[in-house]
Amino acid sequence: MNFDLSPEHQRIRAEVRRFAEQEIAPRARHVDETGEFPAETFRKMAELGLMGLPFPEEYGGAGADSISTAIAIEEIARACGSTALTYAAHLGLGCAPIAMFGTEEQKRRFLRPAAEGRFLGAFALTEPHAGSDAGATRTTARLENGEWVINGSKMWITNASIAGYLIVTAVTDPGERHSISSIIVPAGTPGMSFGKPEAKMGLRGSITNAVTFENVRVPEENLLGRRGRGLQQFLAVLDGGRIGIGAMAIGLAQAAFEIASAYARERTAFGKLIGAFESVSNMIADMAVGLEAARLLVYQAAWLKDQGRQYSREAAIAKLYASEVGEKICRDAIQVLGGYGYSSEYPLERIYRDQRLLTIGEGTSEILRVVIGRQILGEFVGR
Amino acid sequence: MHIVVCMKQVPRDNSVKINADLSINADGIEQIMNLFDEYAVEEALQWNEKLGGKVTVLSIGPEDWKEQIRRALAMGATDSLLLSDPAFTNLDTLGAARVAAAAIKKLGDVDLVLGGRNSTDDETGAFAPALARLLGWTQLTYVGKIVSLESGKIVAERHLEEVVETVEASLPAVVTVVKGINEPRYPSLLRIRKVAKVEIPTWSAADLGLSAADLTPALKLVNRVPPPPRPKGEIIEGKDAAEKVKKLVDKLIEAQVI
Repeated sequence: MNFDLSPEHQRIRAEVRRFAEQEIAPRARHVDETGEFPAETFRKMAELGLMGLPFPEEYGGAGADSISTAIAIEEIARACGSTALTYAAHLGLGCAPIAMFGTEEQKRRFLRPAAEGRFLGAFALTEPHAGSDAGATRTTARLENGEWVINGSKMWITNASIAGYLIVTAVTDPGERHSISSIIVPAGTPGMSFGKPEAKMGLRGSITNAVTFENVRVPEENLLGRRGRGLQQFLAVLDGGRIGIGAMAIGLAQAAFEIASAYARERTAFGKLIGAFESVSNMIADMAVGLEAARLLVYQAAWLKDQGRQYSREAAIAKLYASEVGEKICRDAIQVLGGYGYSSEYPLERIYRDQRLLTIGEGTSEILRVVIGRQILGEFVGR
Repeated sequence: MHIVVCMKQVPRDNSVKINADLSINADGIEQIMNLFDEYAVEEALQWNEKLGGKVTVLSIGPEDWKEQIRRALAMGATDSLLLSDPAFTNLDTLGAARVAAAAIKKLGDVDLVLGGRNSTDDETGAFAPALARLLGWTQLTYVGKIVSLESGKIVAERHLEEVVETVEASLPAVVTVVKGINEPRYPSLLRIRKVAKVEIPTWSAADLGLSAADLTPALKLVNRVPPPPRPKGEIIEGKDAAEKVKKLVDKLIEAQVI
C-alpha cells in the first residue's frame, strides 16, 4: 500500500498549478461573466502539452497516466470551472474514444491534431429525448453509396460548435435493439448546424450547443470502432469521463475550501476570529474530510484504470461522491463567508454555480446509484 | 556556443522562519527556481535555438536541488551540473562564486555565463560579479536585452534606473539579467516526463580541487531577525475632500516628502 504521489505526479501538479494560477485564474471571472471561450488560454495549454496529456507521444500526446490527468483537471478546475469542463470534455469525451476505438488513420487524422491542441474534440451523445436513457437515441445513420447519411438532433453537447470534429452516436440498424454506432463528423460538414451557445447557471465559458444533422454525409470509414457497438463504447468512455468530472469536483471544492479557511482565519466577530467558533470550524473540518475522501476515491479509480483493471464501479463511486460532497463544500464555504460568499464580487458564488453541473453531466447521481446498486445487487436494479 | 546558466533554488515566499542557530527554516514552503534565474534560463534557450551548441544549467546545493535543475531541463536546457558537497553547506557569496568558477574552468569550453541579477532569498547580487572577477572575465550586469551574440562578441543593453546603456564586450563574459528580458516558457509536460530519469552529473569539492580554505566564509552571520512590522497607516479625517487634501499636503510637507 502506498498513498504517495510519484515525483512525476508532483511535478505535473506543481507545473499545472503554476500555469493555472498565472494564466487561467486571472481570467476566470471574465470568462464566467461574458461566456467567452478563452481561446488564448487553450493556445497556451497546448504549448504546455496539456491538450493531449494522457495520449501516446506518437499521436501528439504527453503519454501521462490517468492519475496525472486527474491532477491536471483538478488543478485547472481550482482556477476556473469553465476552462476545466472544456478541457475535461475534450480529453475524456472528444479524444478518448478515438484513442480507444479508432483506426490508425483516424488517430492520425483526428486524435493527433486534437492532442496537439490544434482543435478541440466533442462527443455528441445526448438528445432532446435521450439523456440518461442513451439507448433511446433517435438520430439515425444509414449507409448509402459508401457514405453515412446522418439525420437527427443532439442536445447539451460540450464544445460542439468550436470542435474540429464531433463523435456522433446514431442508430445504424433500425429494428435491432441498441444498434447504435459512433461516427466521426468533421467540423464544417454540410448539413450539420449548431444552436447558439446555451445560457447556463454556471460553467458559462464552456460552450454548449444543440446540434442538428440534416442529411449529413461522411465517408463510411468515419465509423468509429465496430458497427452496432456504440452503446458499449460510450459506457466505457463515460467510465473514464467520470474520473475527469470527479477530479473537476475536487478542484472546485479545493478552491472553495481554501477561500473559506483563509476567511475563517482573518474575519473577526464578537471579538474573536470566526474560525474560533465551533460552528465555523466544524464546517471547515467537514470540508477537509469530504475533500480528502473524494480525492482518494478519484485517484483510486484513476489508479485502477492505469493498472488496466476494472474501474467502472470505482469511477461511478468517485464521481458520485466527489460531485455531491463538492456541492456541499461550496455551499458551506458560502455560509462561512456570509454575504461576501453570496456576492458576485467574490468567486465563491461562481464556484458554487459551476459545481452544480457535476451531479448531472456524464451520469447523473441517480444513474450512478443505479450503476453502483447493480454492481452490488445484480442486474435487476433499476429495471 | 556553450552557455552556462547559474541557477539557484529559493523558497517561494518570504514567510520563512528563523531557527535558533540563525539558519533559515523553509519547512513546508515550496522551493522554486529563483525568479531572475528563470529569465536567464529562457534567454540561454532562445540564443541556443538560434546558434546551436549547448546550455548547461549549473547549481550549487544539496541533492534535492535537482528538482529545479530538472525543471530547467524540461524547459529545454541540454546539460546540467550539480555542485554538491557537505562542505558547501555554509558558503557565503564569495565561496559560492569560487565553487562555480572552479566548475566553469573545469568545463573548459564555456563562452557565456548567464544568471539572474540576484537571488530572491539572500539578495546580495554579488555572486555573478564575484564569479566574473574570479574567472577574469568581463561582467555585464542588469542586462535587459542581448542585442547580438556571436563567437567572441556580445552586445547588450544594461537597463539601469535612469538610462539604458548599450555595451559591447568580448567573450567569454558573465551576464546578469533583469526581469522582463523575455517571457520564460513553461516546461512542457512531455519533457517533464522525459527528463525525470536523466542522470544529473554531480561534482564535489574534491572533484573541483577546492580546499577547506577556499570554502571558509569571509562573512560571519552574527544575527538574523525579521524586519520590524510596518507602522500603522493613518486615515486623514475632514469635512470634505478639499479639507482632507489640504491636511494631507500639510502632513507630507511636514514629513519632508514634498
